[in-house]
Amino acid sequence: MHEMGLMAEMVDLLAESAREHQVRRIDKVKLIVGKMTNALPDALLMAFDVYKEQELFSPSAVLEIEEKETIGHCAECGTTFPVRDNALFICPSCQGLRIDITSGRELYIENYEGEEETRYDN
Amino acid sequence: MTIKVDLGTPLLARNEEMAEEIRYLAAENRLFIVNIMSSPGAGKTTLLEKSLAYLKKDLRTAVIEGDIATTRDADRISAHGVEAVQLNTDGACHLDARMVYRALQKLDLARLDLLLIENIGNLVCPAEFNLGEDLRLVLLSTTEGNDKVVKYPVMFRDAQMLVINKLDLLPYTDFSREELAKDVAGINPALEIFYTSARGGQGVEDWVKRLVGLVRAKYGVS
Repeated sequence: MHEMGLMAEMVDLLAESAREHQVRRIDKVKLIVGKMTNALPDALLMAFDVYKEQELFSPSAVLEIEEKETIGHCAECGTTFPVRDNALFICPSCQGLRIDITSGRELYIENYEGEEETRYDN
Repeated sequence: MTIKVDLGTPLLARNEEMAEEIRYLAAENRLFIVNIMSSPGAGKTTLLEKSLAYLKKDLRTAVIEGDIATTRDADRISAHGVEAVQLNTDGACHLDARMVYRALQKLDLARLDLLLIENIGNLVCPAEFNLGEDLRLVLLSTTEGNDKVVKYPVMFRDAQMLVINKLDLLPYTDFSREELAKDVAGINPALEIFYTSARGGQGVEDWVKRLVGLVRAKYGVS
């Protein structure tokens, strides 16, 4: 539900970084989205279509989303296992309940590509 | 020329910075902050109203009321003689740290022990936004069903306290306390569970006592 807001944050962070690195037009953004965040990739893509109208992006700019599975690590026996489809955080080996989430909460911009500002400083 | 910039910046980086500011302010003023979340209609405001009667005796308390629109909830809280700041998000589905930070400017923090933040009724989005709180409380009513814990794992995984409300309606629902306990163990075994009927006031004192204990444990007796 809050994907528009997340996209607005992404655009602000990109604008700031683009200024810093003298990037004029962004062509591609890569986002990492864990399955255990409440951000839905489809909704993020839809929101991106709205925001990419801004000058910061080239008209053909793409948002690439890499999803990360939720991975649990059992604090009792050390087993690492995927937590799928909202399954409970129960260790498949020892039925332990002290599970650390090692992946699945990610929500960050990994990188972006763009055209560098043309400089005339000879 | 095309260049590639590696960032690694979280989308919620600015919210986290703001939450850090709130934590700093709270520590400076010895203020304990609770973020209260639930779906719409679970009974957040009613639980607050009933809790304030007990809380007022021990802790100087203020409330931030998050709502999409209207000041009705803040009016309900003010009627109990407790300072309430209404935050209207104009459509946004959650409170973020920036909104809370702004609301804090309206309160005399040095004269408060406890701040209760009633988030927007929603079990999804508020879970993602850190408000600099000391405690996350989720309220779930028996009429919603015990399966919500498994359906909204992020919300329940990150909470420290769960209040099951509308216990008086339990006989009219399929809500199972056993199933709930089993699911909670699988999602967040450290989650503390309380049962209340906020409307009639049953069970309210128990969770309030626990809350007062947590505030005292952090800041000592004032």
